[in-house]
Amino acid sequence: MFVEGKEALNPAQKRLKAAVHYTVGRLCEEVALDKEMQFSKQTIAAISELTFRQCENFAKDLEMFARHAKRSTINTEDVKLLARRSNSLLKYITEKSDEIAQCNLERKARKKKKSEDGNKSSRETAEAEAVDSED
Amino acid sequence: MADFYNSDSEPTTRTLLRRVLDTADSRTPRRLRSAGAGAQRALLETPSSRRLNSGTKTTAKQHSHGARSIGRLAHFQVSGNLEEQTPRTLLKNILLTAPESSILMPETVVKPVPALQVVQPSRKESSRGSLELQLPEFEPPTTLAAGLPAPSRKKQRLRLSVFQQEVDQGLPHSQEHPGNADASSLTSSLNLSFATPLQPQSVKRPGLARRPPLRRAVDVGALLQDLRDDSLASAPSGDSLKTPIATLPTDTVLEDTQPFSQPLVGCSPSVHHFLPHPFPTGTEDAERAMGHGTQSSGPGLQNHKIIEAEDSQGTVEAEEPEGSSEDENTSDRPELAASTPEFLQAKQLHPIPETAPPPGVAVLSSETLEPASARLPRKPRTAGSRPRQDSYKAGLNHYIKLFSFYAKMPMERKAFEMVEKCLDKYFQQLCNDLEVFAAHAGRKTVRPEDLELLMRRQGLITDQVSLYVLVERHLPLEYRQLLIPCAFSGNSVFPAL
Repeated sequence: MFVEGKEALNPAQKRLKAAVHYTVGRLCEEVALDKEMQFSKQTIAAISELTFRQCENFAKDLEMFARHAKRSTINTEDVKLLARRSNSLLKYITEKSDEIAQCNLERKARKKKKSEDGNKSSRETAEAEAVDSED
Repeated sequence: MADFYNSDSEPTTRTLLRRVLDTADSRTPRRLRSAGAGAQRALLETPSSRRLNSGTKTTAKQHSHGARSIGRLAHFQVSGNLEEQTPRTLLKNILLTAPESSILMPETVVKPVPALQVVQPSRKESSRGSLELQLPEFEPPTTLAAGLPAPSRKKQRLRLSVFQQEVDQGLPHSQEHPGNADASSLTSSLNLSFATPLQPQSVKRPGLARRPPLRRAVDVGALLQDLRDDSLASAPSGDSLKTPIATLPTDTVLEDTQPFSQPLVGCSPSVHHFLPHPFPTGTEDAERAMGHGTQSSGPGLQNHKIIEAEDSQGTVEAEEPEGSSEDENTSDRPELAASTPEFLQAKQLHPIPETAPPPGVAVLSSETLEPASARLPRKPRTAGSRPRQDSYKAGLNHYIKLFSFYAKMPMERKAFEMVEKCLDKYFQQLCNDLEVFAAHAGRKTVRPEDLELLMRRQGLITDQVSLYVLVERHLPLEYRQLLIPCAFSGNSVFPAL
């Protein structure tokens, strides 16, 4: 009941599930240290099973959302739509996405500056040449 | 009969047959005819008229075999004796030389079939029996397969039935010998009457199957369509909610006789049970229930119980954009929300999406309905919001009555209020989702694609079940016609016999 369903998966999925289980175990350890409470094995197994199945559902939903918006790539918009149920999660995700967007913008700005500098310098050289030629 | 044993080691067929003929005179066809296989003999006479030496008499004996299969034991010995003299070769020659069977004579069936299988009369019997058995089923395909010149009218009918049977059942290829196929088709010409009764049953295209209506699904579908038509605009949602839906469920309700007449019968002890029960369970149930509710149109029913543990915290704190008003009613939540899961368990209305959210949906008290309702259609909070609230509350009343009907037991007034709140929450959630989906696709209008996405999340529409299938299943013809323009084309009317 607690450790179930691994037989029906292909090896890649089994490894994924094992990885999830391991990660969940580590997180539960941290929480246990923090709250000074113990986690039974079944609990950890249950949580990891839960997480795995929920991830499957998320993936399907995200794909549906992306297809609904007539896109073939999953976007941050899709993720936000997925997380809209729980407000705190939604807030967190929007903050993170804004951060990422800002990072991207900054990078683009830097790139633009570099390219502009490059262009300016080439223009300057061209102008200089033109000026020189005129002279 | 002893002459049989006197045959030479290598008799020619003719000599053998002549001997048979000579010795078998004592048992003339007439005798057999007297036994009752008259038709066979009548048939025999025609070939015998052509050839005396042809193995008609032996065929008579083979026919006697056939007769034996019907119940004649007279010539069993003959057949047994014939075995010693390779009747197979004999009869092969007979077959080659025998006249062609006439199509019109039904008993010619017997001739080619037993001719091949003299050795084992039981086999013949079984083959004949199998012929008989298979006739009703296989003869339509075999008629086509054999391609016999059956009468054209009957052939057309068979084609229809054959086509439909092919469509529905898959063509069971006849495993009979082609000769037997002829035979079976011959008899099929007689048994055409069997074909036509098959016709009405056979047409069952799964997509158009009219299953008994699941009324709850109808209601939700109709309501959602109406909501879509309103498209969250300032349409008089209450009235539009009420009128088109009122036609649907009332019909269904009227069809069934009500098991009880009075939905509100004072204090029913059964309902009372539910109310005090959840109190001791406390807020946990409430949170779980709300996790239920907010996930109602979420990933699916099976995930409700799983998600609740994770999301309950989040949902409790801030349910929805509209949910801020709910915080006023924290006292109400445990009582109202927890009672509804008990209802659900009692009713076991598990697979139906409409009832799944009600158990868990967080409850708004009637006071909070005002701001919520005013917010939804984006009307100014004037006195106009009150009648609006009442009007679509009236629409919800309809569903509440349905709920009470299906509860099959009397319900308290408080229970009704709870149900109303649950339904209200559910529909608000649905509308929200639809709005968000539309916005996600960059649109301002809710379209059927949004609805399909919603139903997919609910688990109503899967890769196996499409929207059209659901529409076909649950909606009455008028509504179906709206959604699927060719709804009328699914019916096939057979010509009368």
